[in-house]
Amino acid sequence: MSDETIIRTAEGDLVDRIYSDPVDLYQHRFRRNLLLVVVLVAVVVAIALLRYFLADRPVTYGDIREHFKYGSIGSETGGSVFTPVGGVLPPYLIFKTLPAICPDKLPGGYASLGLIFEPGHELPVGISRRRRLGLDEVGVNCAACHTGTVRTAPESATQIVLGMPAHQLNLEGFFQFVQACSLDDRLTAGNVIAKAKESGTHVSLMQRLLLHLFIIQRIKLETLSLRNRISPLLDDPTLPQWGRGRVDTFNPYKAIQFNWDLTRLPRAELMGAADFPSLWNQQPREGMHLHWDGNNTSLDERNLSASLGAGVTPVTVDYAAIQRVHDWILTLPPPTFPFSIDASRSARGKAVYDAHCAQCHSFTGSKTGTVEDIASIGTDAYRLNSYTYVLATSQALLFPDNVHRFQHFSKTNGYANVPLDGVWARAPYLHNGSVPTLADLLNPPAERPKVFARGYDVYDEHKVGFVTDTAAARASGSTYDTAIPGNGNGGHLYGIALSSEQKQDLLEYLKTL
Amino acid sequence: MEDGVIFQPLQFRNLRVKNRLFRSNISGRFDNYNGTGTQTRINWEESFAKGGVGAIISSYVPVSLRGRIMPNYAMIDADDKVPFWRAVGDAVHRHDCKYILQLSHSGRQRDNPGVENFKTKALSSTSKKDTFHGLLCEAMTLKQIKETIQDFANGARRARQAGLDGVELHASHGYLITQFLSSAINDRKDEYGGVLRNRAAFLLEIIAAIRKEVGDDFHLQAKLNAVDFANALYPWEKKGNTLQEGIQVAKWAEEAGVDAIHVSIGSIFPHPLLPPGGFPPDELNWWYGTMIGSGVRGYFNYTMFHFHILRPIFSAFWERTKKSHPIEAVSSEYCKAVKQNVSVPIINTGGYQDARVIRRVISEGYTDAVSMARPLVANRDLPHILRSGKDLPERPCTFCNRCLVNAIANPLGCYDERRFDGDHAAMVAKIMEVFHPEPFLESERAGQDVRA
Repeated sequence: MSDETIIRTAEGDLVDRIYSDPVDLYQHRFRRNLLLVVVLVAVVVAIALLRYFLADRPVTYGDIREHFKYGSIGSETGGSVFTPVGGVLPPYLIFKTLPAICPDKLPGGYASLGLIFEPGHELPVGISRRRRLGLDEVGVNCAACHTGTVRTAPESATQIVLGMPAHQLNLEGFFQFVQACSLDDRLTAGNVIAKAKESGTHVSLMQRLLLHLFIIQRIKLETLSLRNRISPLLDDPTLPQWGRGRVDTFNPYKAIQFNWDLTRLPRAELMGAADFPSLWNQQPREGMHLHWDGNNTSLDERNLSASLGAGVTPVTVDYAAIQRVHDWILTLPPPTFPFSIDASRSARGKAVYDAHCAQCHSFTGSKTGTVEDIASIGTDAYRLNSYTYVLATSQALLFPDNVHRFQHFSKTNGYANVPLDGVWARAPYLHNGSVPTLADLLNPPAERPKVFARGYDVYDEHKVGFVTDTAAARASGSTYDTAIPGNGNGGHLYGIALSSEQKQDLLEYLKTL
Repeated sequence: MEDGVIFQPLQFRNLRVKNRLFRSNISGRFDNYNGTGTQTRINWEESFAKGGVGAIISSYVPVSLRGRIMPNYAMIDADDKVPFWRAVGDAVHRHDCKYILQLSHSGRQRDNPGVENFKTKALSSTSKKDTFHGLLCEAMTLKQIKETIQDFANGARRARQAGLDGVELHASHGYLITQFLSSAINDRKDEYGGVLRNRAAFLLEIIAAIRKEVGDDFHLQAKLNAVDFANALYPWEKKGNTLQEGIQVAKWAEEAGVDAIHVSIGSIFPHPLLPPGGFPPDELNWWYGTMIGSGVRGYFNYTMFHFHILRPIFSAFWERTKKSHPIEAVSSEYCKAVKQNVSVPIINTGGYQDARVIRRVISEGYTDAVSMARPLVANRDLPHILRSGKDLPERPCTFCNRCLVNAIANPLGCYDERRFDGDHAAMVAKIMEVFHPEPFLESERAGQDVRA
């Protein structure tokens, strides 16, 4: 009955035979085939578009060290093309061309901010690349804040140390530049394409189309949205700058993850900048109070929380990639001291260490990994106060109904006693980096440097810390003023009473950790 | 002043024609739907005889129902048609004019299949549809080929029985015999396809069958394409037969026993070069609809004709080959080449009207005679006018081809209003003259009660 249409009338059914002459049959087949072709083409195009825009393909690396430096942890913008989420950086093409588009805002390029460029890599260490939403997006990964550089002398080669605090990195300056240039009138599709071509990068037709129609507008809107949230932190000149090697971990977190209105928080709470920590040798740290204030005792939760700071969100996170880093840093050894060590002095120093330091700082110390009350440690309290009880309870609401739900965050009242493995590479010292060298730390606060440059990567083997007081250090580093709120260098009075000889011995021993 | 060349008699082997002016094949839908003839057809043919042409070649006359181009054309598919054709011949003969009946089979070029045919595909050498209207077809079996050859022979026999002066095989303009001859159309793998000799076998077997049926003393001519120009409209089509192939076919036809060759061009009908002249989109918009369902590309073509914005696209295709050809004597150069290779008399068609042109092609050896249709539709007495010494009538045919497009729907006549000073009513009145005299008028006058 397929070629018959039944017409019902009062007299009964009329059968109207259709498609029974050759022309009708041909045209019927032709139209059916045309419709099939149209439908097929539409389906193919739809599938191709879906594959194109739904593709989520990180650039992957077999070598774990390359993965750490350049691999994606999911911090690139993702979600859907209609409601993109996550990410703190614009797509690859834009990110790459920003310094050329706004040269006045960053004359030295990304390298001048302390981002490390290696030969054979287009992007700096700590910036990952991933295909999402039809574009190559870039994101920040662990290595951005946890890879440092060291030189033994101004003229010697730069050593890149993985897992080391990125003491040279001006993270605040980095975000300030990306956001300022993203909102600059010069950021247009035409400029991005022109600058990309100048640098020899091919821009496909689809990319041009997306740039012209959506991406630039999307970037500006997202940047404005992000900017509006963290403006109270970044745009207030009366708040201390983070400077090189530091980040305010939890205040952007409050604004970005929870959309808190930062202007309603006590001003003192907004000054939470602290040093990047080291990432090596994590296995023995499981169960210890982690973060400077010891607010969490789970390595997994600490890692996931840190990745949120890099731009990951619960819907864009790449758990497997983070787990890969997690597994690697469990046993990543601390770097060895790059100068010679006086063995006999070091042996004597061990005795001093055991007597005065080991209880709180050796892996086997009874108080290692516990929180020392702020009253007894006496160091600057701003970082401690920036993490609040309300924030801790809010964090439990992230990743709801999920194995990754945070369960170990708590509010403490002090700073954690941390193991000192690789301590030589963790300068400057104390949680806020307020004391440039270990030698200075063994002096009473009044004798510790008041203003110094930090971020310069030439090492001072005698004082055990980076050089802070040469013209070159002042030129390339940022000025650290201990008088600014949050930058205080008081407290941690342990060891200041040791004799000069004992201090020398202890310093020699600390180089070996 | 009498013109010496044009009005010289032309002697064929079996036929003598009083002058060199032939009425070419043209007719309207004047007959009964079932293929029997009418008084109107007699009126139509007689009007040309009165006008002074030496011979009339009928419009296509189907040798079988399935080979009918469109309904309302008298056929010669059965013996019962003989009396009608005798009547036509008698009417024409009264004016010292000869009548040659064109034996025709549409093949796939069935512009309007009619109720009898529309459920079947047309027969052809191929199963590929026609390139212009998308008319569907299927390749003939060998049995069907033999039957069709006999249909042609039977048609010739009936024409002779009817006392007509000869027959013409329509082997040009894309109809069935062209579909066998043309390399652009014939894709057969059997003995009727492939090399030119195989493709010509169908034509030559028809000639032989006719000769066998009617003998050697009956005038038989073939209307042949000198060149196919099968890609004149759409450049992606094949070119079809070349002039050399056209000449070869003419030579074989002569050997097989034709008494004359009627030379034309064009692998479809209508074709950009045939009939030469215009292709009026307004008329196409009005009348192409009558054959819109005949082929699978009818709707496409109609869309091109209907929307003003699309017309230039179609025109660009239609005009592309015309640019390199004249309208008047469009195929004369090719005809000359054919004439130089055969010895039977040649008749050439395509854009003849002006006596100066006709004189020249005859006197300079392009052809022995010319055939024309549209100029005679416009001026039935064109031969008398030329004979009076004028080279052109006062209101000559403009080759606008409005008659051509109207023919598929309306009574045939001249539809160029400019020739009637824009008076539409006058134009229609002229066209309607073909219906006089009317068949029943005599009995009305005699007082017979036709209602009884």
